[in-house]
Amino acid sequence: MKEIFKIALSLTVVCIAASLILGAVFAKTEKVRKDNQEKEEAEIVQSLLGYGHDKKAPGDLKVYAVYRYVIKDAKGGTLLGYLLPLKEKGYVLAEIDLTGKPGKVYPVDADAARVAEKATRDAAVNGVLPQGAKATYAQTLYVANLGDKRLGYVIEGRTQGFKTFIELMVSLDPAFTLNGIAVVKHEEDPGLGAEIVQDYFKNQFIKKPLDVVKNLKVVKEPIPDDYLTVLEPAKLKVSGLSEDKIREIKDKHLKDDIYALTGATISTRALTNGVVDTVRKFVYRIDILSDAVRKENIQVAF
Amino acid sequence: MNRYIKLLWNGFFPENPIFRLALSLCPAVAITTNIMNGVYLGLAVVFVQVFSSGTVAIFKNYIHPRIRIPAYVIIIALWVSVIDMILPVINPAVYKEVSLFVKLIVAFAIIICRLELFASKEPFLPSVFDGLGMGIGFLFGLVLIGAIREFFGSGALLGHDILGFKPLLVMILPAGGFFLIGFIIAAMNWIEYKTTGKIPKAGGAH
Repeated sequence: MKEIFKIALSLTVVCIAASLILGAVFAKTEKVRKDNQEKEEAEIVQSLLGYGHDKKAPGDLKVYAVYRYVIKDAKGGTLLGYLLPLKEKGYVLAEIDLTGKPGKVYPVDADAARVAEKATRDAAVNGVLPQGAKATYAQTLYVANLGDKRLGYVIEGRTQGFKTFIELMVSLDPAFTLNGIAVVKHEEDPGLGAEIVQDYFKNQFIKKPLDVVKNLKVVKEPIPDDYLTVLEPAKLKVSGLSEDKIREIKDKHLKDDIYALTGATISTRALTNGVVDTVRKFVYRIDILSDAVRKENIQVAF
Repeated sequence: MNRYIKLLWNGFFPENPIFRLALSLCPAVAITTNIMNGVYLGLAVVFVQVFSSGTVAIFKNYIHPRIRIPAYVIIIALWVSVIDMILPVINPAVYKEVSLFVKLIVAFAIIICRLELFASKEPFLPSVFDGLGMGIGFLFGLVLIGAIREFFGSGALLGHDILGFKPLLVMILPAGGFFLIGFIIAAMNWIEYKTTGKIPKAGGAH
């Protein structure tokens, strides 16, 4: 009997010591990690809009974040809430019900810093809602303007991968043609599913128009050789193909389905479905949202 | 020979984790489609193995023998988590490459095997050197497999296209990995037979 207590005590001490160390390390590193992640996400959004370290973003490029919330009201009904930046100053939370009918518009008293941080943003949104209603954060959409002109959208998405969720971003132009995709976070297997981050794979999605994306599937075939040359930046550089030839090959394969990665069909399918799903839902929602903004006469910033 | 050098050499050839002990073959097959994957996973294993071996060697007298396995798992998980949290702060660029591999390590047989067979019986310094040797041996194995598979499977080395075509696509598939590891084990047995004149015992029997 005494033995049992000794064992239990010993294991408890090991666990407590381990959790104390983990807690201390977490407390020291969490803020830096979060800052890095935010910086990285901002960079991904920029690069999806076509700007990166080799091409500096112009001064009149404005990226506005729109946060989508799911609101459970006091009666148990579900509504969507969009936190929109205003042209003047401040933000509003616009309610839209599931049939697409615009509802109430609540002014939200918050500055950019409070909105950027998830915890304070959630508190601000919940603060303006009537008693009993609760809003949960669902998604961030980025609307990009170049001067007064709409440059495009960058949308966050999430999909079930091979082991855990794949977080992705898709970039659309104003006509909803895919401008590119990015894999923000994933835990696919190295050498197999993790290949989804490679350019030659991601580039397959670029410039696919909305009607193709809506019915995009995965085919278990290797990428045709001419297409691969155009997709892989390193190969394209040494191939010496002319601009016209490159465009010709790209056009030829524009309506192709996504070619599966060797040995990673599940990850390929997961990412493709994620992209299709994200784009479809976004196209549906942005329509309703702009409709609501027009009807309610909200002076949004974008 | 100096004992520490002997311990390092032990993990490299006589008890190489992949080719002699035949442990952690799953990651050795799964991720070694190119050299860099092997380097990253190998480095991650070196760190976790050294830290875990050191920790177990220090605290071995306080860990009740009946619960030593769960305690070892907690220690490995602790170091994996600590590295997973500290690395993105020290060097985000490296972390981006290594993070996938670091998280895999908790379930590696080689690490818990060295804790059980070596670190739980030996003092601190030899345990650290044993961990280092095993880690380096694992790294060497991964890089060797990765290099051969990358060359024959993708016609490239370190991501640079060398052949311009893919001689043996099967090499980057899991089946090719199994074949290759089998051939390397056979080759190492042959070397041992030629140098010592003895037929090698089954893996892990040293």
